[in-house]
Amino acid sequence: MPTGKTILCACEDVTRSEVQRAFQAGHRDLESVKRYTGFGTGPCQGKSCLALVAQELVRLGATPAEVAPFTIRPPSDPVALSELAALEPSALPLELEIPERRPTLLPGEGDGAEVGNSLPPPGGEGQARGELRPSAPLPARADVVIVGGGIMGLSLAYQLARRGITDVVVLERRYLNAGASGRNGGGVRTQWTTPTMIRLARRSLTLCRRFAIELGVNVWMRRGGYLFLAPGPEHVRWLERTIPVHEANGLRTRLVTRDEACQLVPQLDPGQFLAASWNPDDAVVFPWPFLWGYAARAAALGVRVATFTGVTGFERQGARLTAVVTDRGRIACQTVVNATGAWSKQVAALAGVALPNRPTRHEILVTEAMKPWLGPLVSVLGNGLYFSQSQRGELVGGMGDPDEPEGIELGTSLRFLARFARAITACAPATGHLRVVRQWAGCYDVTPDNNPILGAAGFDNFLQMSGFVGHGFMMAPAVGELMADWMAGGPPDEIFTRFTVDRFAGGALPREEFIIG
Amino acid sequence: MPRLPDPRFAPDCAIEVDGRPLPARAGESVAVALLAAGEALVARSAKYHRPRGPFCLAGTCHACLARIDGVPNRRTCRVACRPGLAVESQNALPSARRDVLGAIDLVYAGGLDVHHLATWSQPANRGAIAFSRRLAGTGTLASAPPPPVGLAVEEEPFDALVVGGGPAGLAAAEALAAAGLRLLLAESDRALGGRLRAALALPGDPPLGWASDVAAGVTRAGGQAQTGLTALGVWRDGASPLVLLRVEEEPRRLRLVRAPRLVLATGGVALPPLFPRNDLPGIFAARAVARALAEEGLVPGERALVLGDGAEAGAVAERLAAAGMTVRRAEEVTEARGRHRISSARIGGGHVRCDTLAFAGPRAPASELARQVGAEVEREPASGGYRVRAAADGATAVRGVRAAGEVTGPMSAADAAAAGRRAGEAARADR
Repeated sequence: MPTGKTILCACEDVTRSEVQRAFQAGHRDLESVKRYTGFGTGPCQGKSCLALVAQELVRLGATPAEVAPFTIRPPSDPVALSELAALEPSALPLELEIPERRPTLLPGEGDGAEVGNSLPPPGGEGQARGELRPSAPLPARADVVIVGGGIMGLSLAYQLARRGITDVVVLERRYLNAGASGRNGGGVRTQWTTPTMIRLARRSLTLCRRFAIELGVNVWMRRGGYLFLAPGPEHVRWLERTIPVHEANGLRTRLVTRDEACQLVPQLDPGQFLAASWNPDDAVVFPWPFLWGYAARAAALGVRVATFTGVTGFERQGARLTAVVTDRGRIACQTVVNATGAWSKQVAALAGVALPNRPTRHEILVTEAMKPWLGPLVSVLGNGLYFSQSQRGELVGGMGDPDEPEGIELGTSLRFLARFARAITACAPATGHLRVVRQWAGCYDVTPDNNPILGAAGFDNFLQMSGFVGHGFMMAPAVGELMADWMAGGPPDEIFTRFTVDRFAGGALPREEFIIG
Repeated sequence: MPRLPDPRFAPDCAIEVDGRPLPARAGESVAVALLAAGEALVARSAKYHRPRGPFCLAGTCHACLARIDGVPNRRTCRVACRPGLAVESQNALPSARRDVLGAIDLVYAGGLDVHHLATWSQPANRGAIAFSRRLAGTGTLASAPPPPVGLAVEEEPFDALVVGGGPAGLAAAEALAAAGLRLLLAESDRALGGRLRAALALPGDPPLGWASDVAAGVTRAGGQAQTGLTALGVWRDGASPLVLLRVEEEPRRLRLVRAPRLVLATGGVALPPLFPRNDLPGIFAARAVARALAEEGLVPGERALVLGDGAEAGAVAERLAAAGMTVRRAEEVTEARGRHRISSARIGGGHVRCDTLAFAGPRAPASELARQVGAEVEREPASGGYRVRAAADGATAVRGVRAAGEVTGPMSAADAAAAGRRAGEAARADR
């Protein structure tokens, strides 16, 4: 006889007591409970479990704002990539989209739980922050205020706390994982073009490998390698120039033939590429638990992580920022860190500092889960297609769009589904069987030279941690560690002097070309 | 007596289930054929490998998934039987009935905390990752690519699109077609009628024959009343919403429809009851068993417990009793028992034997498409779900998009039809 569980989400086998435990652990709103328990992420996309979990959360004492429905993730019924490939992408404009509308509360009657979708503020914000604010008051002062509770900010907070700097507040506008840290494909690779980026990536891989034990939460790291396919002779030549840099920096990357690549991934169509670069040590991870792990451990060491708290301005005095003003009050502080990813430019502007970052939407999807069939993360040079298989067996893949305009936009387009389906079924035709269950979008934080922006900007104590161009997640464990060393009084790593915003005042800059997605 | 003794319902072919032949009637769903053969257990659940079987028989619950002709994750309630169709239970070793991985449910009786599993040592963690990866996933990716899907999908203009062919959608379509508008009525299931197909004859229910009259009217106005056509998403730009739909009949293909008038009559979703072992095979949505009885002559078992206190519960109990089942009604069940199928339910202090539990509880408004298109929703307290806020004429917060019927909250079929009619009439003037 099966045990006496009460099942709320049948697709993902989420029980009533699992929802209760998540709620008691502080995951109170539906978006957070969805991410923590996995409810609503199966093939039915929450058709019945959303109601059941919402009901349970209300019973446990959730506020109406906390049970605003989670953002809808199209398609509403699984659809095969082969079918989507019959759509003509050029006939589908980018503007044709489902905006990410986080429901806002409307004044209403009944049980007071009315949720409006009609007027999304720009950028797709609007989850009723006021109602979701944590009950713990903000401190009046702190040594360090980190703006942005993504992986950059939380990795820094944890590393600072380990070094004894615990008078730290992390401010997150929404729930943990709401930004790009919760929206990326989970790739961690060492294949970069400069020794600096290779060094950071190697350190991150090491930290990722230890993460589950050190931070006590699983991140499902799997070293399946990265395979970059070169569709044209120019891509092969580029790999031939890049791979020696990898070798010189101790990476096991090598150029492989079509046959070798097809042995690694038998589903590939050998007619679609000429050669490939292969690194067996690169990996994929499951992104969400990184934030829970860093936040929980940092909090245990004394750091305060305030979710649903937005920054509205800064106070300054001469060459220093003196306080961070939020929608819940002000915090006087010694140091401010801007770790807000695609929102960095907006946040810096609140202090009157101009950053050259250009936020740009990138879309992504997952399919139904299958038994293991794909070892590496595969990416196609030139068109930006990438795909891997997650621990749960889903195909996770994305593809940038050269026509995507600058701007913070988290809505999802039909055009992406069509473009992705065409590209992946050309690259690996058998993937046409897979059915897409969910699409979403995140923003790359693009800089003019594809390199990050670090060090102080505008004010002596206004430190930047942004501009990672879609690769911040994989760099964050290492960057947080180096930044904490520096903030704890150590000498600055070269990245903090080399990648300052001042570099753009000069002439031409070496550009990182190994950007995918 | 798994099927009513009527020649209309007699098996006329055989499908293959885990290698064994199973009698079926060509055209009925695989789920119905399995239930008629007394097999409520179809699959094992994703994480705990708990026994699962059809619940909603309407394509929403995904509890009845199987590998069919080698394709995993097919909803057995949505695949029609034909001679030789090969059905395999998925996510089970070796079969859904005897799945050794069911031990996971026992070992983790209090729940499996995947986030903190084996985080005490590096080797244990690596082992857990490697092992759990092999357990995950529900099928193997075929090595041969699927056949090409043929012609590129072209955008099709219609005067109006009505999503959902239940009472509200039918009435809206009727009103639009009567004004001479060329519309597409899209119903994802294989027949029009929605809840009317359950033939419960509740007070005010329109006759089921009305559905074919509406379809004829739609066709006369130059439109299409299409079954087996599922709306997958609604995308917007400056112009009218663009709706992506899928033709369910093989070969499957997509359609793209743009219409200045969109009526969402997507109805509701059956929710499971809440008590320990609420996922046992043999527990069904009440409307599902009533519909399968009316359309397929399916008698799902010998002893039925009908849970719920509304008119629908009473009518379903009557129908099942008339079909020869021993029927008992209950307003509250606190636990189910059973190994591969429900065998008893706790009511008050005692257990009542049953092999079938029909749950006539609250249904959640199917507001997914409405939420995609930007309509406002509000919590619906009975189900816990989200109903679309619509005016009496179906108007939502989005111009050109109206909603009617159960998607706006619980209501009778008669009220849903009236709301659909008002929405259809008002939509005539939308543009």
